[in-house]
Amino acid sequence: MAVTGYLSEFALAELFNFLEQGNKTGLLTLCKLSDDQLQYRENHYIWFNQGRIVAAANRLDQHGLAYMIGQRGWLGEHTALRVAQTCDVSTPIGLSLKNQGLLTVEQLKLLFYTQVMRQVCTLFALKDAWFQFDCKAPLPFAEMTGLNAPATEVTLAALRVLKDWSALANKLPEPTSAVMSIIEGKPQQKLNQTEWQLWEFAKGTISLQEIAQQLQLPLEKVQQIAFRLVTAGLVEEVPLVTVITAHPKPEPLPMESAVPEATMLSHSFLHNLVGFLKGKV
Amino acid sequence: MEIMRLVVTGPVGAGKSTFIRSVSEIAVVDTDRRATDETALLKQKTTVAFDFGRLSFGPEMALHLYGTPGQSRFDFMWDILIQKAHAYILLVAAHRPSEFIEARRIRAFMRQRSPVPMIIGLTHMDVPEAWDLENAAIALGYLSTNKRPPIIAVDPTQTTSVAQAVITLVQHSMQAHLMPLS
Repeated sequence: MAVTGYLSEFALAELFNFLEQGNKTGLLTLCKLSDDQLQYRENHYIWFNQGRIVAAANRLDQHGLAYMIGQRGWLGEHTALRVAQTCDVSTPIGLSLKNQGLLTVEQLKLLFYTQVMRQVCTLFALKDAWFQFDCKAPLPFAEMTGLNAPATEVTLAALRVLKDWSALANKLPEPTSAVMSIIEGKPQQKLNQTEWQLWEFAKGTISLQEIAQQLQLPLEKVQQIAFRLVTAGLVEEVPLVTVITAHPKPEPLPMESAVPEATMLSHSFLHNLVGFLKGKV
Repeated sequence: MEIMRLVVTGPVGAGKSTFIRSVSEIAVVDTDRRATDETALLKQKTTVAFDFGRLSFGPEMALHLYGTPGQSRFDFMWDILIQKAHAYILLVAAHRPSEFIEARRIRAFMRQRSPVPMIIGLTHMDVPEAWDLENAAIALGYLSTNKRPPIIAVDPTQTTSVAQAVITLVQHSMQAHLMPLS
């Protein structure tokens, strides 16, 4: 079943987290929305294999990588495609070219950086787009360098350089929330200094606004760092109980005073309840 | 009198009030608390509304259902409710992925304050845009089928569906008492 939606509802960072955590394989299509119906609709395609990004392009003819190779003068575009056709159809074109001594490992890394890291990172600036993830789409071997990157690693890199956070404003953890680690041990990802600093507070007890004060960082910056760690799958946001000081104190609720703490229920009670409810099903 | 208290929680629009209304024997009580201290002069009301429903099934046996306020700024109210609860169901609208992040916040809040058993009820599963159960589970942070609470589809407008959801929650609670789950 295809997963579809809009980035304004489910942000690209959330989507990448979902695809990585779910070890998804398939094609993610992003269709940029435009107010002008006549304007050319720009599509972006990102391929995933087991939750890792293996290729990206803005075309589906599988000539994107060959074109990039040709642009750099390393090999003619047609030559690259012809070589790819003579190779194993289930081998990424980048690996085929490397195996034949036509490209070096460094050149492949550069291609991957340009094709995936740079291209995909710019998509995080999109205010909105329609997306579809098709898990039945085949891998585009003629578009693949043979290198890959975990989706959340790309997210971290993209969000670190994101200038305009307005599209993510309602996704940021609340200033009154804390963050808590959801992994065992320390993160495997390469974190920067401020991310490590926030990580040290990931125990679910101190609010982001207090952390901001302690680290002497703007609150908004701390919220953004927290969002990065959340979407990297390292921590979760934990709302803390709001201390009501400026608001009026409400009357005590009936259950506060009259109802005792939750006590153990008898098995006969639970069996009777289930029996009663089954009569309603 | 033996009473089981279940909390029905979830983001705004997940179907909490409807869920309680579908199974309650009384008209659902929508509580709106008035301020009583001196700050009431500045603000007349604090809107800390929650829904309350009841189901009696014996002379001395009843099920009480409490719906949490849908907005996270009422955290203190949630705290009171969860501390008194025997179990809870987290309702999530499967067709609104924008609310998944809020559902995760609520779950994290609940989990930190109470170890009581919980299940997840996915609502609006009949809407074409709804995420299927497996994908919604992943989006809610459940990666392994072995290490997650029961996740079921529920139609809050249907008494039978709500009753089935409550059965699942009660049975899960019974199992949890025998074999605690993380």
